[in-house]
Amino acid sequence: MRKRTLKRGLTAFWWFTLAFLYLPLAVVVLFSFNASNSAASFTGISLRWYTRLMGNEEILSAFANSMILAISSSMIALGIGCLIGYGMYRHRQRKLGWLIVLIYLPIVLPDIVFGISEMAFFVQVHRLTGLLQPGLITMIIAHVTFQIPFVALIVYSRFVGLDPTLFEAAKDLYASPTKRVIHFMLPTIKPALISAFFLSFTLSVDDFVISFFTAGPESATLPIYIWGAIKKGVSPEINAIAALMIGAVAVAAVISLMFSRRRPA
Amino acid sequence: MNDSLTLDTAEASRNENVETAREASSIELHGLHKRFGRHTVALNGVDLTIEAGEFFTLLGPSGCGKTTLLRILAGLEEADDGRLAIGGKDITEVPPHKRSVNTVFQSYALFPHLSVRENLAFGLKMRGLPPVEREARVAKIAEFIKLGDLVARRIDQLSGGQRQRIALARALVNEPDVLLLDEPLSALDAGLRSQLQVELLRVQKRLGMTFVFVTHDQQEAMVMSDRIAVLNGGVIQQVGPPREVYEHPVNAFVARFMGHDNLYPITARQGNRLTTPLGELVADQAGEGDLLLIRPETLDLLPGEVAGDNHLLAVVNERLYRGSHAEYRLEVGAGTLQATLNNRGRHLPEVGDRVTVTVAPDDLVTLSE
Repeated sequence: MRKRTLKRGLTAFWWFTLAFLYLPLAVVVLFSFNASNSAASFTGISLRWYTRLMGNEEILSAFANSMILAISSSMIALGIGCLIGYGMYRHRQRKLGWLIVLIYLPIVLPDIVFGISEMAFFVQVHRLTGLLQPGLITMIIAHVTFQIPFVALIVYSRFVGLDPTLFEAAKDLYASPTKRVIHFMLPTIKPALISAFFLSFTLSVDDFVISFFTAGPESATLPIYIWGAIKKGVSPEINAIAALMIGAVAVAAVISLMFSRRRPA
Repeated sequence: MNDSLTLDTAEASRNENVETAREASSIELHGLHKRFGRHTVALNGVDLTIEAGEFFTLLGPSGCGKTTLLRILAGLEEADDGRLAIGGKDITEVPPHKRSVNTVFQSYALFPHLSVRENLAFGLKMRGLPPVEREARVAKIAEFIKLGDLVARRIDQLSGGQRQRIALARALVNEPDVLLLDEPLSALDAGLRSQLQVELLRVQKRLGMTFVFVTHDQQEAMVMSDRIAVLNGGVIQQVGPPREVYEHPVNAFVARFMGHDNLYPITARQGNRLTTPLGELVADQAGEGDLLLIRPETLDLLPGEVAGDNHLLAVVNERLYRGSHAEYRLEVGAGTLQATLNNRGRHLPEVGDRVTVTVAPDDLVTLSE
């Protein structure tokens, strides 16, 4: 009997935790379909806020910025992180603990510290050279910087999971260095690369703090737009944007998870 | 499956192979040295000639340098010093992907992102053969190794024995000058292992290709090889056909590694008459060495006490009955002696029996430490 009570208690706790995590999200999604203007009462289902979104130039431009930023930074981070991950694998026998810590550091560093540092750096570079005016370019650089460690670690762990003899088998079977990359390494780590890309993508779309510090006047992303709009009061439009972002990030996260789990035997 | 039919087609594909393949290649190694770090000497001056078409085995305990030697042949490791030639051509400086040498790895190393068929075609694709020709050669080798419907499978759907055969086919399909095999059977259970030993041997004889095989198992080496090289400490101890290495080991290391325990110091000698802790023995070929080797299977046990040359009195300490034969541990003089007796339905002495051990003078071998 006691065992059953305990089991029921734990089940209840599980549902409570889930509710705690997802109810706020559910509220936002629900109110994005609210027919009324008021955030206080739900009066009926309507798509009016979504249609309003489509007519708002500012929101569309913020959406475009978010996409340009997320896709280009993820692509660049994928290229650089992939090389770093392979380098870490190739030289794993050497004592590289300090290097691994250096690569982990941006992951654990508070975003606000990271954002301020990036901003200070870009300001100095701009002062000295006239380059790197705050805008999409500086944001892309900042995002690439915090995405690289994730990509490198995902690629590294994929390589570590491989039978090292495979590299020798490729050499033995007449594959030149270039052909080893094209026909062995890239196809073998493809799931890891896809997973890393979508993880980078969600990290970029989610980011507010670092974007906020490195953005220029023309380069507001969705989170920055929401931040600005909320200062004028919460409009149901914001709920609609948030609901769309939840959807997009969820899809990207699920894709990333699917490919990180899928590993050829 | 109709066995004679498959044999015929295998024979036919073999003939085609012979048409397209080059002549079997010999291997020459001169003064190979290899060190890892400052202290580990893997190879310490190896000179060796492997004949074209030979099934040649590198035998030794782990760390003896056999795998290093194989990896140098494959080009996966570079020798610090020395030359290496295959088919009369010096390939010391040639990188692995440009050597007409293929390896069957201990872990098989099949590419997980490719199907069996793509694995088989990998080497041909890297060498730039057109798809049609690749498919034809893959089909031919699949028939030769009798892979059947394995070709359509994914790598993770294969058992250990199947992986081993795919790995072999993936190497053979390239028709290399030399095939290298790095303990390819060590991961398999005993039954499958002896079955694949026979299969591997048949493949090698049919193709007439030079095989270099690495193993630490002396039984396997004896079954498979035309010649065996026994290595220890990065130095070749002895090279010869299995019978020679087993019956006439040149030193105590080779003798012990081939499974011999009956080794006795020779304390005095008068012509062919040798004094050992067991007693006095007469050997036909009493060479220079100071050790006497007595192979257990050359001994015979007579009931009771019988006098004569090479007749030693003994007491049975232990008997292990193994059905086809029995293994004895005997107390003889100041030593112990192991003997193996075939079970031919005769009397098998029991523990505690007093017996006479006899050995023919031409079965005794002397060797040095």
